[in-house]
Amino acid sequence: MKSWTRREFGGLTGAAVLTALRPRRARSQAKAKVAVIGGGVGGATVARYLAAGTAPVEVTLVEPSGLYSTCFFSNLYLAGLRSFESLTHGYETLRRQYGIAVVHDSAAMIDPVAKIVGLSSGAKLSYDRVVLAPGIAFQDRAIDGYDAAAMQIMPHAWKAGAQTKLLRKQLQSMEDGGVFVLVVPPDPFRCPPAPYERASLVASYFQRHKPRSKILVLDAKSTFTGQDLFQDAWQRHYPGMIEWLPAEFTGGVKAVDVKARSVITAEETFKAAVANVIPAQKAGHLAQQMGLADRSGWCPVDPVTFESTLQPSIHLVGDAIIAGDMPKSAFSANSQAKACAFALASVLTGSSRSTPHLFNSCYTFLAPDDAWSNAISYKPLAGTIRTAHASISKVDESSEMRRRAAREAEGWYDAFTRDVFG
Amino acid sequence: MLAIAASPILLAAPARAAAANDQGGQIAAVCASCHRLDGGDRSIPSIIGLGEDRLIRAMLAYRLGERPSHIMQAIALSLSDEEIAAVARFLAAQGKKAEPP
Repeated sequence: MKSWTRREFGGLTGAAVLTALRPRRARSQAKAKVAVIGGGVGGATVARYLAAGTAPVEVTLVEPSGLYSTCFFSNLYLAGLRSFESLTHGYETLRRQYGIAVVHDSAAMIDPVAKIVGLSSGAKLSYDRVVLAPGIAFQDRAIDGYDAAAMQIMPHAWKAGAQTKLLRKQLQSMEDGGVFVLVVPPDPFRCPPAPYERASLVASYFQRHKPRSKILVLDAKSTFTGQDLFQDAWQRHYPGMIEWLPAEFTGGVKAVDVKARSVITAEETFKAAVANVIPAQKAGHLAQQMGLADRSGWCPVDPVTFESTLQPSIHLVGDAIIAGDMPKSAFSANSQAKACAFALASVLTGSSRSTPHLFNSCYTFLAPDDAWSNAISYKPLAGTIRTAHASISKVDESSEMRRRAAREAEGWYDAFTRDVFG
Repeated sequence: MLAIAASPILLAAPARAAAANDQGGQIAAVCASCHRLDGGDRSIPSIIGLGEDRLIRAMLAYRLGERPSHIMQAIALSLSDEEIAAVARFLAAQGKKAEPP
């Protein structure tokens, strides 16, 4: 497998030429140390692009888990269309091919004055620059009775792993004719179209295996991403199977009754055969603990360098940040991570910085052979990130175009996860 | 003597070329979110080994909507002519490189 090696990438970007012409400060010093905390899509991408780039950098990636399973495409697993193994990636290539020190531990604290990361094991990691990719955490007590124990009965399955497998198992053992209740959180949350893709793909599974079953989507919002595309597809593929109830119909989800496996809204109680409760979200715990999140629960950053505006010298990428018009998605995290890596490289080598190319694109499945796509480019503008150009699938586009998007999506997953994990 | 007098200009040219190459590399990083840059090809076509002209023509066609793709159209619209040229040059050069040992 050929990929960007350090040598090849260096040669290609003309670093040798530049260094020969303008010897830099960094050259005569020890390598700069960058610590990346969190080995999800954002963190792994920052680490890989820094290590593969031309700046002399020693990269350490801190991630407690030895394997990472992607949330994106996990709806295909829930529908029995993809194995869990195919969603799971390790850090071996980042370690071996890119020379990244991968430390399987978690960060307990960061001292931005002494520039030290304290790990849970007690070890300490000194750094010149630190990047956090803390992902999401769930808001406490957003839904009465939905605690850690309740998650074992009514999974969220919004962080891929044991929760995803649990939901799959429950769907498999559900009797035909049952009701699958899907609780959708208020904005902003990880991957805006994903709850509705989940409803679509679970419907395709029901249609094949439990055709008398129903899906009830209890939404905290009154509109949603790609609504016209989803509702058109629900009528075409699964007539009468999916019912979507916006907040104004139900008054919103207030509580769960775990024993009765029911979801309680302001107006009514809904009994579920399987309940998937996706709680309201905020930036991951380390960001909260380090004071990197504002009152919204998310982290404000500079849109060019991705440096925290609350704690300069700490950079942040991915779902945890306030990224203006960019949604919380793996693609956004990957794009922000590259911009952050290039900005860090220019800070560390003293070279000029260019405007970042920020982009997001999603393939969203309506059925196994029917997917829609969107693509948006962004520009930093007045301290935030704004949409520059957008292009999205239309309701009336041809079924051939949709089939092609479904095929492309598979190739995209392959290329994207290589771009992240090597 | 002439050569020495001219040297700052001669030096500036490769530095500019390198900066353009850097720009091409940063845009190619956007491509790498969907296209494998190792020549691999699985329902999303490889963009390695196509040559500069062909890449530029394809990007301009996407920008004008002459080739259908939501994703490529949004990308092509976001890039200037100069940026399209820089990324095409970068990708074409990558295609010509020998496999590493």
